[in-house]
Order: sequence, then structure tokens, then C-alpha cells
Amino acid sequence: MRRLWPYLDNKLSDSDKERVTLHLQQCTDCLSHFDYARAFLDAVHATRPAAETDDALRDRVLQALSNHGMSI
Amino acid sequence: MLDTTHQPPALISESTTERDREFAAAALPLMPNVKRFALSLTRNQPDADDIVQETYLRAHRYWSTFQGSGGDCRKWLLTICRNVFTTNVQREERSVAVEDDELESLAAARTHNAARVAGVDDIYARLDLGPAIRDAIDRLDAAFREVVVLSDVEGFSYEEIAETLAIPMGTVRSRLFRARRQLQEMLMVYALDAGYARARRPRRTLAAAADENG
Repeated sequence: MRRLWPYLDNKLSDSDKERVTLHLQQCTDCLSHFDYARAFLDAVHATRPAAETDDALRDRVLQALSNHGMSI
Repeated sequence: MLDTTHQPPALISESTTERDREFAAAALPLMPNVKRFALSLTRNQPDADDIVQETYLRAHRYWSTFQGSGGDCRKWLLTICRNVFTTNVQREERSVAVEDDELESLAAARTHNAARVAGVDDIYARLDLGPAIRDAIDRLDAAFREVVVLSDVEGFSYEEIAETLAIPMGTVRSRLFRARRQLQEMLMVYALDAGYARARRPRRTLAAAADENG
């Protein structure tokens, strides 16, 4: 359990990672905590808003850049 | 501070126009990413737009320096964006206690147990929590919000976050794990308030027991 977040973030050394994986194969209690945490992370990642093109902002930035000497 | 003495000859002879064209080609398509990050910092459109503009002005000014470094343009732009935000906004830099990573991982188990007892441990599978998650992220303190946005929304590694925010890796980890716990707790409260507690497997209450017996 102590390795939950680093494990899910893929931040453990290979040997530590393997140890955790082996443990999870035998311990349903820990496995359920890991599954819950992973479902949470997936849900957060899924909220990633589409990076929307904002033409007004783009025009404004280009204008500012050209005022500051950008040559396009 | 541009040090032109160490630049290869090709860069010196390169025309301004050519450099600007490269800047436009590399940096401008990333504007939606910069805007999204700026918005997560400011939480309002006008301030986010101001920050994006200033980010691009600075990026243009230092483009030659960056170009020679072979770095990742998105990370570089988000770093500038964050610097613009911190220098523009008088932000109270809360001293955030560095907490033990392992304690936070253990806390994650407790959070899960609490959700299980309350009957809301399957909300991620059952519900579209998107709006609730975005709202919860907005309610985090800025120091936690920026870390969790970079990691769990933008997909940055711990190292990239440490560089972008200029904070130690240990601080990245402790803020990230705490932010996740706060989010999980807020989402659990949300699910309970919204009446999403699972009806099956009801816990035996005294009232229920009385009903059965009566």
C-alpha cells in the first residue's frame, strides 16, 4: 500500500514494481485499493478539456507579437 | 540574457524572418495548451488570455535561447506561463508542509474504505464525474491545483513538473498525493450529497432491525 501512488505513476524501480505486482496478485484487499485509485486517476484524466482553438486570442497574440517586432 | 558569442554561425546569419517563422510554426499551434493551463491557474478567461499573450511575448523574446537548447516546446511554454502567472499575481505562497509519500499512499486506502462503507466506491464506474471533478480541482489551493493539473490532466512526469514549477521532486510528490486525496474526499462528499450512495447491500441500521423485528 505504501507504494500505491508511485506504482500507479510508474515511478518505481523495476524490482520494486515487480514486488508490488506480485503482492497485488495475492492480496485482493490491496488490489481493490489500487483499482479504486486507478479508476479515480482515469476519471481525472478524462476531464481533460479539449484544447480549444481560440481565434480571437490567437489574433490578439499575433497583433501583440507584431507590435513587438515579430516579422510575420 | 542572450549570449550570442556561443551561438553557431548558422544562427547568427539566420534572418529574423526565418527565426520568426520557426517560432510561429513551433509555438503558435500550442496556444490551446497554454490557454488551458493558464485557465487552470487563473480560473477566469480574461486573466488567462492576458497571461497567454505575455507568455508568447516572452517566448518570442527568448526563442533563440530555447531553440538552441533542444528542449520540449510545450513544457517550455507552460514554464513561462506559470512564471508569468506567479509574477503577475501577488500570490500568497502558502507554505505547504511536505508530507510523507508513504503516509499519503496509506491514506488512499482509508479514503477507499470510507467510500466503500458509504456505498460510493463504484462512482467512477457508474457516473460521469467530469463536472464534479473539474469543480473539485478548482476548489483546491493553487499550489495543489497546479501540480495535479500538470500531472493528472496534462500527463507530465514528476520530473517535468519539478522543472516547470521550480520545486523539488519531493514537494511535487507530496503536493500531488495530497491533492489527489483532497479530490477523492470532495468527490465522495459530492456523491453522497447527490444521493448516489448505492442502495444494494444496505447496512443494517437500528431502525431497519427494529422494522424487521416489529
